[in-house]
Amino acid sequence: MAARVLTKGLWGLRNSRFVTVRHQYATAASIKSPQIQMDSNAMEKMLNQPLQTPDFFRLSELYSLKDLFDARVHLGHKKGCRHRLMGPYLFGCRLEQDIIDLDQTMELLQAALNFTAHVAYRGGIILFVSRRRQFGHLVECTAQDCGEYAHTRYWQGGLLTNAPIQYGPGVRLPDLVIFLSTLNNVFQQHVAIRDAAKMNIPTVGVVDSNCNPSLVTYPVPGNDDTPAAVELYCRLFKMTINRAKDKRKQMELLHGLSAASTPSS
Amino acid sequence: MAALCKVVSSLRTGACFNCVTANSSLFIRKSFYCSDSSAPPGGTEAAAPPAAERPKSGFAAAFELQSDLRRREERSAGRSGSSAGEQQSFASLLRRSPLVQMGPAKDKVVVGKIFHVTQDDLYIDFGGKFHCVCARPAAGGEKFQRGGRVRLRLEDLELTGRFLGAGTDTTLLEAQAALLGPLDGPGPGRDPKAKETQT
Repeated sequence: MAARVLTKGLWGLRNSRFVTVRHQYATAASIKSPQIQMDSNAMEKMLNQPLQTPDFFRLSELYSLKDLFDARVHLGHKKGCRHRLMGPYLFGCRLEQDIIDLDQTMELLQAALNFTAHVAYRGGIILFVSRRRQFGHLVECTAQDCGEYAHTRYWQGGLLTNAPIQYGPGVRLPDLVIFLSTLNNVFQQHVAIRDAAKMNIPTVGVVDSNCNPSLVTYPVPGNDDTPAAVELYCRLFKMTINRAKDKRKQMELLHGLSAASTPSS
Repeated sequence: MAALCKVVSSLRTGACFNCVTANSSLFIRKSFYCSDSSAPPGGTEAAAPPAAERPKSGFAAAFELQSDLRRREERSAGRSGSSAGEQQSFASLLRRSPLVQMGPAKDKVVVGKIFHVTQDDLYIDFGGKFHCVCARPAAGGEKFQRGGRVRLRLEDLELTGRFLGAGTDTTLLEAQAALLGPLDGPGPGRDPKAKETQT
């Protein structure tokens, strides 16, 4: 009897989460322990304020062209490995090695980091995916350091598309998937790119000159084979997400205090 | 960074004015941190009453002029951007990079750093896109440990091949190089064009 009441209560809670998920992304922690009470006006203002400026989180100061160059982000594969859709992102080909255009990479990286920051600001779940065994540990540590999730092992077919059946009803899917390498080891594209597109989950991905950038929402053309480059990406994503979360806490305090000071009718 | 090391080393080997060289090399290293602190040494040199000194000629004059110009350039770069590299375009950075200056990779001698060792295999990173894997030589193998620097003769930057029926090349994600030996001190047998690894 008590169990039935409990499940009913939980189901009601989950339903309410599904209904409000469009307006406000809430993490499990914030639902369990309500922090700062604020009315819907203050909440809306807090969520819309970052959208007013193009670079609200000032992510352009996190990296520079020289940093990308020193981390060997511009080096691509040989000409024979090139994917035809990566042609527009290449600066050229030098002695049969493709060189990625870092001017384009700078802009696209800025867009990708900005999107990541906004998702993290709104409390979205971020999943890091990479099947490169050389960088598996690094990616997992990065995810742990910024409080998000990583999947660097074998990808089961129905992980995103069959989630309610495989993991139980009401499981929450990631709101953003970040690929540190979009390929499997056998030079097939990672299944998660197609699956995330099927489930309407936006993706950010580092695409090398042999990758297919078409299904990735925010492709970042760059080297995904050199440890220096992958460490740079991990560091940038970690700093972005931490910065966005800190900003969110700051804004909550700010708006929560201002809402408490004005008596609401 | 590699260009910086080359400039510093060329200054050291070329000039015979020891005190001036020390000041210039110190300046170039410190220019990213404090461009103003080096003004006094430069200032004290130029502040000596020019009328009283004999006008310098030949190499001395040219050296003073060049170091003056370089000082002024570094100072303005230090004020405008966080480093001189900020204002360089990607095309100029690429053109001046050691990888491009090296040319074709075949039979070029480079310096690499061992970042992983598995029994008899040494994984060496020489600044290219991929690392290379070399077998530990039978003689003197104990010298090659993780973190050690070695000399390599490059053969290929990336091992790729097009197989029958394939649309694209298959790549091994490795470079190929022959191990020449550990990096000892400057010796007569060392290739002057050896490329330093990016740090």
